[in-house]
Order: sequence, then structure tokens, then C-alpha cells
Amino acid sequence: MEKGHSIQISLVILLLASILVISSNLPALAHKVIIFAWVEGDTVFTESKFAGGKRAVGAKVQVFDKEGKQLLEGKTDNRGEFSFKIPKLTDLRIVLTAGMGHKGEWAIPESEILEARGVSEQKRSGEHSQPTPAGLSKEEIKDLIEDSLDRKLRPIVRMLTESQSKGPSVNEIVGGIGYIFGLMGVALYFKNRGKKRHRDNYND
Amino acid sequence: MHISEGVLSAPVLVTGVVLAAAGVSVGLRKMDYEKIPQVAVLSSAFFVASFIHVPIGPANAHLILNGISGILLGWLCFPSILVALALQAILFQFGGITVLGINTVNMALPGVTCYYLFSRLVKRERGLLSSAAAFTCGFLAVFLSGILVALCLLFTEESFMSVAKLILLAHLPVMIIEGIITLFCVAFLARVKPELLGGIYGKGS
Repeated sequence: MEKGHSIQISLVILLLASILVISSNLPALAHKVIIFAWVEGDTVFTESKFAGGKRAVGAKVQVFDKEGKQLLEGKTDNRGEFSFKIPKLTDLRIVLTAGMGHKGEWAIPESEILEARGVSEQKRSGEHSQPTPAGLSKEEIKDLIEDSLDRKLRPIVRMLTESQSKGPSVNEIVGGIGYIFGLMGVALYFKNRGKKRHRDNYND
Repeated sequence: MHISEGVLSAPVLVTGVVLAAAGVSVGLRKMDYEKIPQVAVLSSAFFVASFIHVPIGPANAHLILNGISGILLGWLCFPSILVALALQAILFQFGGITVLGINTVNMALPGVTCYYLFSRLVKRERGLLSSAAAFTCGFLAVFLSGILVALCLLFTEESFMSVAKLILLAHLPVMIIEGIITLFCVAFLARVKPELLGGIYGKGS
């Protein structure tokens, strides 16, 4: 009975803690940091955030090539952003170090850079091409579409970043607590079995 | 306090796993039937505490509750914290599987240290001394965790002093809050269920 008392007290503490978490609407967390990068033309843009949405300000960003050689290094600005011109055509690995053991990574494959660069090069050469009698050349139409797609997709890219940096939901947290109590059940079961066997042996 | 995957070098990770395995095995050996629910409840409390973010100070810092875990569970806080960290790593990618060992040690070892330092003082009759001990227990556990994290990062980041200063400064509000939480928990338990504070090995002795 006394045992039940202490568990009750602990449960009350747990309940209070849960209420505190849920009512505070899951504020920014310090467990995880995310870097998100995309290519536009010959520039790579990156955004860095802690899980929960707080921006990683003044964090170190390093860019590595395929062989793991460091190409360049920089710091995020006060909006957690950092951009750089692509130094070399290769698979890029962008590593964010936010201090106190927090680290995030994002990879940009060579194909993505090529694609983006192809668009901007076509654009440049397109400026010199003469309009066909029909009005617009095929390339120009393609450029226009690419341009407007870029513009239209930017908010969606941003939204994806946001959703990636969301903290865990209440369901997941409650689920985690459920796992712990499930494990408790398993542990009790095995302990109990051992105890029972012991008792049986004793009775024999 | 959760160190991310890929930050630490292999020797540090291996040391972490070995130490965590040792701590957990000691804990499991001491875990008896009646203690299991308490371990589970404190494991859940630790699991939830990591979501309580303290919005004071320069960095993102959250509650750890390793002081109260330590004082109530002793060596059992190793398995308790391991389970919570494993679930956080699997469900939310906090920390990670390879750093599970070292993260467990960083948070559980200060708990055990506080158990040995303060359980004798905390379980005395209620008074200024036991209250002060309870506060210091919560405070010191976070402090020691910060030192351990800085030690781990010693091999990867510039200098120990700057990292340690950064971590300790960021966690100063957490230390104070944890001290107060531990103080109130202990005062509450002392009133309602004093044997619990006598440690897990002999009741009230």
C-alpha cells in the first residue's frame, strides 16, 4: 500500500509535467538542429533551424566535396541563413555545427547543381538568340516556365523546411510514455516469472 | 545536453558505450521487483522533461531531472535514463543511436554521484541542511552533466574552457529551476513517504 503511494506521487509529478508541456505548446527544443539547402543558379542557399523552429544564429557552416575535402566555411546570419557560390562542380555535403554538440547535415548531389546551372546558362544564351517569327523560341518559353516555377515553388520549399523543423507532437510524446510503461510491463513479467520459478523450486 | 550523431570521435563513443553498459548492468542487478514501476515513472518523467524548455538565457536548454532521478533511484537511474534516451533517439532523432551510450553516461553519472553525495544529507530530518542538500543535488547534477558534455566535446571543438563556459552559462537557469524542483519534490516526499528517500537498498537505514 505504501508502495502504491509513492507511485501515485510520481504519477502526479508526471501528470503535472505533461500538462506543463502541452500547455506551453511545445516550445523550441535544443536536441536537434536542421540545415536545409537548395540551389538557385550558381548559388546555394541554406537555412538552419533548431527543432521547433528557433533559428540557429551564428552557427558554423562547412561545405565539403565528394572526397571529404573542405571547400569553404562560413557563419549563419541572424536569420539562420547562409549562401555561397558553388565553388566546384561536385556532390556537396553541407555540415552545420551549432555548438554544444549539435550538428546537422544536408547533401546536394551533382545532378541538382547541373540542372540549376543548366537553367541559368540557357537563360544567358537565350538572351542572345533571336526571336523566331512565331514570337518566342522554344528555349525562351522553357526559361519563362522555369522562372515562374522557381518563383511559385519557393514558398513550398520554405514550407517543407518549416515542416521538417517542427518539434514532436503531443501524440508522439504520449506514445513515448506508453512505450516506457509497456517496457515496465515486460520487465515486471520477466521478474515475476523468475520469482515464481524460484518459489516453485523452493516448494519442490 | 543531447550530443548529436557524428560529432564525437570513435574512442569517445566506445568509452561511452562501455561506461553506460557498466552502469546499466549495476543498475539492473540492483533492480528488484518493487522498484520497477518507480524506475518506469522516473524514466517517463525524464522523457517528458526534455520537452520543457526553459526560455531564459542565451541558448535552448531544457529540464533534465537527473538530480531527482539520482537521489530516488541511485544506480537504477542508468537503466531509467537509457530507456528514455533510446526512445527519444528512435522517435524524435534527439541524440542518436551511436551516441546513446555517451549521452546516458553524461546524464546518469551525475545522478549517481549526487546519490552518493547527498542521499545521506537529504534523508535527515527536515530542516535547513536537508533542504539545502536537495537544492544542491538538483543544481549539481545539471552542472556535472554540463562538465561531462564539455569534456566529450574537448576532442572535437576548440577549447574546453570556452565550451564549458558556454554550456554552463546556457544551463544556469535550468540548474536553478532543477534545484528548486528537487527541493520541493524532496520536501513533499519527506512528508508523505520518507522511506523513499532512504535510498533503494535498505529502507530508512
